[in-house]
Amino acid sequence: MGGYGDVQCIDENGIRLDGRTAEQMREVEIECGVIPVADGSARVKWGKNEVIAAVYGPMEAHPRKIQRQDRAILDVRYNMAPFSTTDRIRPGFNRRSREISKVTADALESVVDLELYPRSKIRVEIEIICAEAGTRCAGITAASMALADAGIPMSDMVVSVASGKVHDIVVCDLNKEEDNYGEADLPMGILPMTGELVFLQMDGDLSMEQFQEAWDYNMQSALEVHAVMVDALKRRYGGEV
Amino acid sequence: MAIPIVPTLLRENLAALASEDSRIDGRGRFEGRNLEIEVGCLANAEGSCRVRMGDTIVLVGVKFQTMTPYPDRPTQGGLMTSAEVRPVCGPNWEPGPPSAESIELGRVVDRGIRESGCLNMDDLCILPGEKAWQVIVDLFAVSDDGNLFDAFALAAIAALSNATVPAERFDVGEDYPLPLTGTPMMASYHKVGGRFVYDASKREELGGDERIHITLGDEGHVHSLQKGLRGVFTAAEFTEIMDQAQKRCAELRDIVAQLE
Amino acid sequence: MTGDSTSNEPASGSTLVHPGERLSAEEGARAGHGVRLIDGTLVAMKTGNMQKHGNTVTIEPLSSRYVPRASDLIVGYIEGMTNNIWFVDIGAAFNAILPMSLAPWKVEFGAVRQHLGIGDAILCRVQEVDETHSSVVTMKGMGLRKLKSGFIEEIPPHIIGKVVGKGGGMLQQLKSLGQSRMIIGQNGRVWIDGDQSGMSEVREAMDVIRETAHLPGLNERIAALATE
Repeated sequence: MGGYGDVQCIDENGIRLDGRTAEQMREVEIECGVIPVADGSARVKWGKNEVIAAVYGPMEAHPRKIQRQDRAILDVRYNMAPFSTTDRIRPGFNRRSREISKVTADALESVVDLELYPRSKIRVEIEIICAEAGTRCAGITAASMALADAGIPMSDMVVSVASGKVHDIVVCDLNKEEDNYGEADLPMGILPMTGELVFLQMDGDLSMEQFQEAWDYNMQSALEVHAVMVDALKRRYGGEV
Repeated sequence: MAIPIVPTLLRENLAALASEDSRIDGRGRFEGRNLEIEVGCLANAEGSCRVRMGDTIVLVGVKFQTMTPYPDRPTQGGLMTSAEVRPVCGPNWEPGPPSAESIELGRVVDRGIRESGCLNMDDLCILPGEKAWQVIVDLFAVSDDGNLFDAFALAAIAALSNATVPAERFDVGEDYPLPLTGTPMMASYHKVGGRFVYDASKREELGGDERIHITLGDEGHVHSLQKGLRGVFTAAEFTEIMDQAQKRCAELRDIVAQLE
Repeated sequence: MTGDSTSNEPASGSTLVHPGERLSAEEGARAGHGVRLIDGTLVAMKTGNMQKHGNTVTIEPLSSRYVPRASDLIVGYIEGMTNNIWFVDIGAAFNAILPMSLAPWKVEFGAVRQHLGIGDAILCRVQEVDETHSSVVTMKGMGLRKLKSGFIEEIPPHIIGKVVGKGGGMLQQLKSLGQSRMIIGQNGRVWIDGDQSGMSEVREAMDVIRETAHLPGLNERIAALATE
C-alpha cells in the first residue's frame, strides 16, 4: 500500500480504471469438470484472473503423522504458474503460496463434512493460470466449486471476494492497480446460504463506516457469484440428452 | 509421481488387443486422439498455447527476460525450457522435488526445439556483450491422460510461433514477433501389447513398455531422438515408426501453420 | 454477469441440488443420505438429485467414491504383501487387507507370493469394516477367486444401479451385447469376459452409461447400440 504516484484509480465521475463504478464486481465465469482425470474440478475466470482447481480423494493420508483419527484433512496446494504474471515466477517454494494454502485449507475445512472420512485426506490443487488481483479469493472459490463437482459433502459452498478503498472511496472487488496502490484490502470467505464467514483478513486503514461498506460489498458479491456457481453445476449435470 | 500398480490383466488385455490390431479405445494403431489447439490464451505471457489431446490437456507459456551474454558468445541470447508436472494434473503424486520424469519431459522438448535451430540465438541479441533475450518456455500440465511429450512439444512450438518480443516493456525498442525459422514437430510411439502405437493414453502407458520420441524438422530432417523406459526394439520396428513420424509431423506442421 | 439466476430453487422438472441448498419437505420429513437436519431445516450436503422415499429425503450423488460395507462383492487389485497378508486396492479411501487365513488355498507362511502377486485381480467379499473405513476382505466363499482372464472396467459406484437396471435388465442386455460373462463389483469395478469383438461392444456401452447415466432414456440408448 504505497503512494499512488500518477495513478488515478477512480475519477471524479466515480469511474474506475477498468470502467466499473465503486459498487460493481468484475465479470465472473465458472465452469466445472474441466480437468477430466480429476475427481472434481473447476475453472474460474474472475476479471482477468484465471484459476483452475482439482480435487482428488478422499484417500489414505500419508505420511502417518498427518493423519487424524477422527476426521479427514484437506491437503491444499495453492500455486501460481510461472507465466501467470507479467514478471515470470520462478517455480519452487514460495512463502506467500504456503500461507495462502493454509488459510484456504482452514476456510474449506470449516464447511466440508470431514468426520465422514477419518484418517483420510482430500487433495485440493489450486493453480493460478493468469493473475490480476484477488487470486487467493478466486482460488478459494474455485476450490469450493471443485469440491462440489467431486461430490464431497459440504454444508455450503464458499465464495471469497476482496473489497477495499482507493482515494478514500470504498470499492468492490479490487483490481490490480487498486490492490497495489490502494489504502485498504478486506478479503472475506462467505457462506452464501447463511452469510457466515470462514475466511477473513484485512490490511490497511478503514473507518468503522468504511469497514461496514466494504463488508456489505463482499456480502452482495458473494450472492452474485453463488448464482454463477449454481448455474455452472446445472450446466454440467442438469443437461438434456 | 507415485508409481501405480500395473494390473496383470491389463497387460494381457493390451496384448490380446494388439494381436487383433485393436486398441483399448477403439483407435487405429497410428491414429491420434481428438486434437484441439488454441494460441494466445494466456494474457500475461508473451506467447502461449493450449493443447488438448483426448483427455490430456497442457498449457505452454513463453516469457522473456533479459540476460548478460556469455563472454564467449557475446551476441547470443538463451533458451530455457522448464516442465512442471504438478499434482493438479493427476491422482498419483507425492511431495518432493521435480520427478525424473518431469525433468526428462522438459529436456526432451527442449532438445527438439534447440537442435532444429528454429530459434537463432543471435536473433536474441539486444546489445552485443551486454544484453540479450532469454526465452523461457514453461510447460504446464493441466490433465494427464498420457502422452504429455507430444502435447508439450506441440504446444511449445505453437506458443513460440505466436510469441511477441516485449521490447517496449524492457525499454529497448518496439515489440516485434519472435523470429522463428522452421517448426520442429514431435511424434511419440509407445510399445503397447508388443507393438508400437502412436499417442498412447494413460492406460496404454501404464500397461505398456518402452517409448520413442522423434522430432523432425520442416524437410523431414531428424533433429532429436529419445528412447525411454525399459524395453528392446528392432531396427525394423524403428523404421516403421520413423515412416509414420514423417507423415504425422507433416500433418501437425500444417495444423500449426493454419493457426496464424 | 454470466449465469444470471437470482433464485436458488431448482428449475421445474429438475431435482438437481447443490451443497447448502435448503430442501422443501413436508412435516416430519427425515434426513437420509447426503442430507442433514440443521436448525429444523433439511439441507443438501452434496451435489446431486434430490429424491424422496416415503418420509426420507436423500441425495443421489452425481460423483462418488466407493465406501466399503460388509458383504459387498468387489474386485480388488493386489498392491503388496507381507509374509502372511496381502494389501488390496479396492478403489476406496483405504486399502483392504486379505489375511492368509481367508485365502481360498492352503498358504504357507512366507509363501503368499506363490498364490497372488502384485497386480493380480481378485473377486472377493468385504468381511468387515472398522469405524475408520479400513476393511478386511475374504476369498472364502462361492465363486470368489483370482480373475485370470477378461478385462475390468471402472464405473463410479453410484451408477451401479444403472448398469444392473430394473430386475437386472440392463445387465442382461450388456451380457448379450458382448456375448460375455459379467460380474459387477460394488466398488464400481466390472469384470467382463468374452471374445475381443464382444469386448469392444461392451466397452462402448459402458462409455455411454458412464457419460449419460444421470440423464433420462438410458435404456433406449443402450438398446440402440445393440441394434447397430
